[in-house]
Amino acid sequence: MSTYGVPGGGPVVHDPMTLPSDDNVNNYTFCVELKGSQWFLQKGKMIAYYGSIDFNGIGHGRLDRLVRTSFHSPLHASDWVVAEGSGKMLLADRAFDVNSYDLDDGNLTIRSGNLLAFQPSLSLKQSIVPGFLTLIGTGKFVAASNGPVVFMEPPIRVDPQALVGWADCPSPCHHYDHGYMAGVMGGLRALTGLGGVSGEEHQFEFVGAGTVLLQSSETLMAEQATGAVPHEPGVPGGGGAPGGHGPQAGAPRLPGQLGDLQRRFGL
Amino acid sequence: MPFREINSKMIEATVAPGQRLFSQRGAMLAYRGEVSFTPNTQGGQGGLVSMIGRRVANEATPLMTVEGSGTVLFGHGGHHVQVIALTGDTLYVEADRLLAFDGTLQQGTMFMGSQGGVMGMVRGQVTGQGLFTTTLKGHGSVAVMAHGGVIEVPITPQRPVHVDPQAYVAHHGDVRNKLSTALGWRDMVGRGSGEAFQLELSGSGVVYVQASEEKL
Repeated sequence: MSTYGVPGGGPVVHDPMTLPSDDNVNNYTFCVELKGSQWFLQKGKMIAYYGSIDFNGIGHGRLDRLVRTSFHSPLHASDWVVAEGSGKMLLADRAFDVNSYDLDDGNLTIRSGNLLAFQPSLSLKQSIVPGFLTLIGTGKFVAASNGPVVFMEPPIRVDPQALVGWADCPSPCHHYDHGYMAGVMGGLRALTGLGGVSGEEHQFEFVGAGTVLLQSSETLMAEQATGAVPHEPGVPGGGGAPGGHGPQAGAPRLPGQLGDLQRRFGL
Repeated sequence: MPFREINSKMIEATVAPGQRLFSQRGAMLAYRGEVSFTPNTQGGQGGLVSMIGRRVANEATPLMTVEGSGTVLFGHGGHHVQVIALTGDTLYVEADRLLAFDGTLQQGTMFMGSQGGVMGMVRGQVTGQGLFTTTLKGHGSVAVMAHGGVIEVPITPQRPVHVDPQAYVAHHGDVRNKLSTALGWRDMVGRGSGEAFQLELSGSGVVYVQASEEKL
């Protein structure tokens, strides 16, 4: 990762020659070099480019083959474009920290709003966990985070809002702080919200071998719709509207809360 | 030193049995081990009287007690975090800037008017501290949040430091502060420099200044 500019050094001026190739320009900008190759990128994340680069929405006939091999989330395709041509392209997202990651025949699941761009050698799929996308294969991708990303080894429990993604972990699951929810006082708290909540009754738990990616603040990035999954039995999130069930859908529903009643009455 | 800075916006705290921490509610990012988080209705230490004091003073920030054994990561709102080690002196800081602090530190509330009377109260209004501020005293570490990076400015008896009230974060040591005004006729006609009020800190100690004029 590049460092912040030297204080008092003035702005750094780049030209097509000095711009890095497939690397960070600074903490907030990433430069992609295209040599007749293609990159997938989320709409609106390109801030500038040198050279001749075409941006095509996915769904054009010409890109059908590419989409077939590396984009497996058809209903989500309208949020992505394919850049092709030759030149250098700068990516950024609202001054969030941007970083690139290399996958070597690996897999990584990431919150849909955090993914900015990826090489077509990776294939993008919707994760079983709603609101997350999984990248499988070999290649480079670019992701944004609020504050630098911290890598942690499981076993670890993570605040839902601080989770950016995970690699290789077989067991992302919910963890509820039972001690706090149990008992008369716990029930009262859950029902009324009186006595305060610590905001930490619910975490995501990861065990096993792998890496968990955390962002250093609890401010989420805007969620990107991941497309709908088919309405089939056994498909998580298949019954509801897309995005409605995501871990980002506000506070987790705790036992005894009024939300349960509402659901029971079909409201 | 229970706090380790992981990057500019995240700290790692180690909790051991029999030792507790206070942190702002909801500021936990991740943890390892068996750690429990209990909301602290009293907003910190002391008995009922301290709690009422804090409520009245509007310094009752939602805190939680962190106990158990393991390591916890803290961060909040993308704010920069500064770890301040206290060795027996008192830190003056706004309660909502506290990210986490050692349970061994003594928490108190101070009336701004007690330092400089009416001028102290005016100062509180200008800095956005209000009429009261929180004090932490003892030996231990405090993690303080600020918007933008934090600069540590030493104060020596010969060299008082002037700080923009909006950029002021916290101070500790034997420091007297007063509000110095540079109001002129330009301010009256709305052509001021925007820097009419400054906080003048003198004595010996340290003041922490954030690289932004935005409040938390």
